[in-house]
Amino acid sequence: MTTKTHGMARIFMRRATVAGLGLATVFALTPHSYAADVSGTLVLLDWASGSEQDMIKALEDGFVKANPGVQFKEVNLTVQGDARGAIRAALQSGEKADIFINTWPAFRKELADAGLLKDLTPLWDSAKLGDNLSQSWKDLGSLDGKLYGVTYTFGDRSAMFYKTDTMKKAGIDAQPKTWDEFVANFAKLKAAGITPIAVGAKVWSHTEWFESIYEHLNGVDMAAQLTSHKIPWTDPSVKNTLKKWAELIKAGCCGDAADMLAMDWDNASDAVMKAGTHGYQIIGMWNNDRAQSTDGLKSGTDFNITQFPAMGAGHDDVSSVDTKEFSEFSGAANPAAADAFLTWITTKDAANIIAQHGLASPSNKVDPSLYSAVIKYSVDAVAAAKPQFVMGDLLPGDLVDEYRVQLQKFLQDPSDANIDAVTQALETKAASSY
Amino acid sequence: MIGKAPRWIPIVVGLISILWIVPLLGIVITSIRPAADTVLGWWQLDHIELTLHAWTTVWSKYPLASGFVVSAELAGIATIGSMILTPAAAYAFQFLRFPFRRTLLIIIINAFVLPQQVVVIPLFTLWRQMGLIDNLASVLIPYVGLSFAWSIFLVKNFLEDFPNELIEAARVDGCGPISTFFRIVLPNTLAPVFAVGILQFLFCWNSLLIPLLFLRSHIPLPVVFAQISGMYDPNWDLRAVAAIVTTVVPLLVFLVFQRQFAGGAMARSGTKD
Amino acid sequence: MTDATQAPVSGSGVTTSSPVTDSDRRRLAAARRRRWMADMPAAYLLLAPVLVLFAFSVVYPLIQTIWLSFWDIKGLYPPKFAGFGNFVTLFNDATFLRAIVTTLLWTVCTTVLSVGAGWGLALLCSLAPKATLIPRVLIFTAFGVSEAVTGYIWLGIYRPDAGGVLNALLSAIGLGQFAHPWLGDANTAIWCLIIAYSWAQTGLPLILIFAATQAVSRNVIEAAHIDGAGPGAIMRYIIAPLSLPGVRVALFINLLGSLRAFDTIYVLTGGGPVRTTETIGFFMFRESFTQFKLGYGAAATLVLLAAVLIISIPAIIQRTKEAK
Repeated sequence: MTTKTHGMARIFMRRATVAGLGLATVFALTPHSYAADVSGTLVLLDWASGSEQDMIKALEDGFVKANPGVQFKEVNLTVQGDARGAIRAALQSGEKADIFINTWPAFRKELADAGLLKDLTPLWDSAKLGDNLSQSWKDLGSLDGKLYGVTYTFGDRSAMFYKTDTMKKAGIDAQPKTWDEFVANFAKLKAAGITPIAVGAKVWSHTEWFESIYEHLNGVDMAAQLTSHKIPWTDPSVKNTLKKWAELIKAGCCGDAADMLAMDWDNASDAVMKAGTHGYQIIGMWNNDRAQSTDGLKSGTDFNITQFPAMGAGHDDVSSVDTKEFSEFSGAANPAAADAFLTWITTKDAANIIAQHGLASPSNKVDPSLYSAVIKYSVDAVAAAKPQFVMGDLLPGDLVDEYRVQLQKFLQDPSDANIDAVTQALETKAASSY
Repeated sequence: MIGKAPRWIPIVVGLISILWIVPLLGIVITSIRPAADTVLGWWQLDHIELTLHAWTTVWSKYPLASGFVVSAELAGIATIGSMILTPAAAYAFQFLRFPFRRTLLIIIINAFVLPQQVVVIPLFTLWRQMGLIDNLASVLIPYVGLSFAWSIFLVKNFLEDFPNELIEAARVDGCGPISTFFRIVLPNTLAPVFAVGILQFLFCWNSLLIPLLFLRSHIPLPVVFAQISGMYDPNWDLRAVAAIVTTVVPLLVFLVFQRQFAGGAMARSGTKD
Repeated sequence: MTDATQAPVSGSGVTTSSPVTDSDRRRLAAARRRRWMADMPAAYLLLAPVLVLFAFSVVYPLIQTIWLSFWDIKGLYPPKFAGFGNFVTLFNDATFLRAIVTTLLWTVCTTVLSVGAGWGLALLCSLAPKATLIPRVLIFTAFGVSEAVTGYIWLGIYRPDAGGVLNALLSAIGLGQFAHPWLGDANTAIWCLIIAYSWAQTGLPLILIFAATQAVSRNVIEAAHIDGAGPGAIMRYIIAPLSLPGVRVALFINLLGSLRAFDTIYVLTGGGPVRTTETIGFFMFRESFTQFKLGYGAAATLVLLAAVLIISIPAIIQRTKEAK
C-alpha cells in the first residue's frame, strides 16, 4: 500500500502531465478507469470476518493496484450475531465511512428511508455498469426503482448440499429432479440409517425450506407480494406451503423437533459433511468454503449440491438467492473514489478475485473456469431461474424475528390447527411492522 | 491442621474436580490439534496429530497481542482506580458524619441490581455526544463506577470491625479526618482492598459488552475472541488459543495474590473471636 | 447523665443532671450541627470521585433508560412518542412474562447451586488444605474463564450429535437411549444452562468460603481436638458456622453475577429453543441491540429493576440497618 505522501506526489505529477504514454497505457488496461481523478482515502465499513475478510482485503489490494492514488481504510466491526446491530451502533456513534457491505434489502430500505444511502442510478448509466451486470442484478439491488447497491457476490439458496459418500451408502445414484422422487428417496436414506434432511432450526436456517417450498408452489410474484405485505400471512398460499412441509416432516425427513431446534446451521453442516448422519441441507454457498477448509473435502467430488426439486406447480424456474452488495453513503467524504470502486467491482479483475476466493460473481466478465464445481452449478442454476431474495433478509424489523420463531413453533407441532395459529401470529405481527 | 486429615478427602475432592478439569483440558487439546480433526469434538480419536499451527498463526491473523496490551491497560487502570477510591468512600461512609450519608450509601449499595446491558445504551449516546467513543475513558468510567455497588459494601463490612478507639485516638491527637484515613485506616485495610482489586481485575479482564460497543481501534482480548468466532469459519483451534491466553493472566493474578484475597474477602476478618 | 437518645455528642462532655434549658438545647443543636457538618469537606473530598463516576455510570443511564422507555424506536427510523405504550405491550407479551419466570428460576438456581457446591467443596477442602490445592486452583480457573468461553465449552458438551461429550459419554457407557438434544428441548434446555453457568461460578464461593475456614483460629481447633472432638464434630460445630460470613459474601457476589449473566445464554441457546430460555437481561439485549427497539428494551429493563428491588426489599432493609 502506498503511503499517503507518495500517493499525493504521484497525483500531482499525473495532473501535471495531461497526456503521457504511461497514462495511455493505464487507460488502455482499465477501460472504466477513473484513475485520473481518484485519490485520497476510501473508508469501508467492514463487518466481514474469516475467509470472507481475506477476499475483501484482496479486493482492496486489487483496487489500489488499479488506482494507486487511493488508500483504503477499514472500520472493522466486531459482530455478535446479526451485523446490523453493530452497523447501526457504528453509524449512530458518528462513524464516518464511504462504502459498506450490505446483504439485507430490509436494511437497505431502512437506511434509504433515513436518507443515508446514495442513489446509484446515475452511476449505473454513466459508468455503463450494465455492460458487466445484467438487469436482474440491478433489480435486486434497487428499491422503488432507484439503485442503491452494486452486487458483488450472490448465492443460491435453493440448493441442497449432500455428501457423495452418503448418497452412495444409501444407494442413490442420481439426484432427484422432482419432489416425488425426492420424498421417495427418504426410504433409501432411512434404510441406511441416515436422517434425510438436516434442519438447523436453532436460529434461522430452517426458514430456507419454507421459502423454497413457497416459491416453487406459488412463484416469485406471489412471494414478492407476501414480503411487501400485499397479501396477508394467513393467505392460503402460506398455509399450503406449511402443509406441504408438514408432509415432509411426517414422512420422517428431519427427526424430532427437539433435534432440529438443537442444531444451528453449522451443526447441521457438520452432520451432513463430517459425521454423515444426515443427507441434505439447504444452506448458503459459504458452506462450500466451509466444507473445503474446515472439513477438508473436495468440491464436486466429495460433496456437491443439487437444485431444489421441481414441484410441478408451474413455478419450477425459481430460485431463492442471497446477494452481497456494496453501497455508498450519501454523506461519503470521497464519492469519486467510492464510485470508482463500485464500478471496478464489476470488472473482470474484481470478478476473478471473487471467483478465486470460492464465491460467485454476478459480473458477466468473470472467468467461469475459476469456479469450483459447486459454485459453477449454483451459478448456472441461478442464471436459469427467476430470483427471489431470501425472505429472512427482506422482511422488515422485528417481523423477521417473529417469522423465525413462528416457524420454529410450527416445527414443534406441524398440525393443521397449529398452522392456523402460526400464520395468525405472523399476520398480527406483520400488521404492525409495515 | 487437625492432626491427620482423613485420607479420603483429597480423593473425593479430586474426583469431583474432574468435572472441572476435563472441559478445561479440552480447550488445551483443541488448541494443539488441527481444526479439521476437532470438528466433531476434541476427543475424537480417528486422526491424532498434534500441531502448533494455531498457536503460531493466531497472533498474525488477529490482533491478539495488542488485545493483550489493551486488556492489561484497561483492567490495570480500573483495578487501581477501584482500589484507591473504594476504601476512601467506605471510610467516609463508616466513620465520617455528613449530610445525606445514609441516603447516598443506600443508593450506591443497591445499585447492584442494575445489569450491564442497561448501562450500555445510554452511555453510548452520551459518549458519542462527548466524542469519547473509541477512547479508553469511555470504558474505564463504567468499569470503576459500576464496581462501587459491591466493592464499597465489601470494604465497609470489614471496616465495621475496625477498632473505633484507634480513630478516636487519632482524632484526639489532632489528625483531621483525611489524614486519619491515610495514616490509620488505609494501612490496616489492605486485605479487603486487595480482595476488591482481584475481583475487579477479573471482572474487567473478562468484560465483553462494554468494550465491544465503545472501543473500535484498540480492543481488549474478549472482543478479539468474538472476532475470531467468524460468521462462517468456526476456527475452533484459534479460539482455543485465544481462550487460553485470555485466561492465563487472571489465573496468575489470583495465584500471586491469593493470600491477600483470602485474608480480606470476608466480612469478618476472623481476628475477632 | 448523658442524653443517650440524641445524636452522639461524644467528647463535648455535656453531662448534666439538671433539666435542659432552651439555651442549652440551642447550644446542643449548634454543636450537633457543627459536628454533623464538621466532616463534610473531608467526606466530600473523599467521595467526590466516587460520586462523579457513579453518577456517570449508574445515575445517568438510569434516567436515560426511564426516558427511552416512553418512546417507540424502530431501527434508524425517527422515534415516536409512546407514553406507557411500551409497558402495556410488555405485559401482554407472552415471551416477556415467561422471561420473568425464567429470570427468577435462573437467578435462584444458579446462585444456590454455585454457592452450595462451593460451600460443600470448601468445607471438604478445609480438612486437607495442602492436598486439595490443585483441585481448588483448577475449579477457580473455570471461574476465571470468560463467560463466552464457558458457553463454548458447554456447547461442545451438549451438542446433539455424536460430537457432544454428554451424548458420547452416555453411549459409551451403554446408556445411549438417554442421548438427547439437550438444548433443543425446552424442558431440558434451561437446566442445562443453569448447570453450565453454576459450573463456572463455583470457583469464587469455593475460594471465599475456604478462606473463611482457614481463618478460624488455630487455638480453638486445638482446644476442641484436645477435648476429644473428631474431625466430623469439629466441622459441624466450629468450622461450618464460622464459614458463614464467607457464604454471605459469596451469595451476594454470585447473585449479582447471575443477574448480569448473558454470554452463557447467548452462546448456548441464544434464548431458545423458541425463546424459552430468555432471561429479562437477554430479552432486553435482544430488543435493544438486535431489533434496535431501544424504547421497548428500556421498558423491559425498568420492569426488571422494579422486580429486583421489590424482591430484595427485605435484604435492603437489613443492609440499611447494618449501614449505620
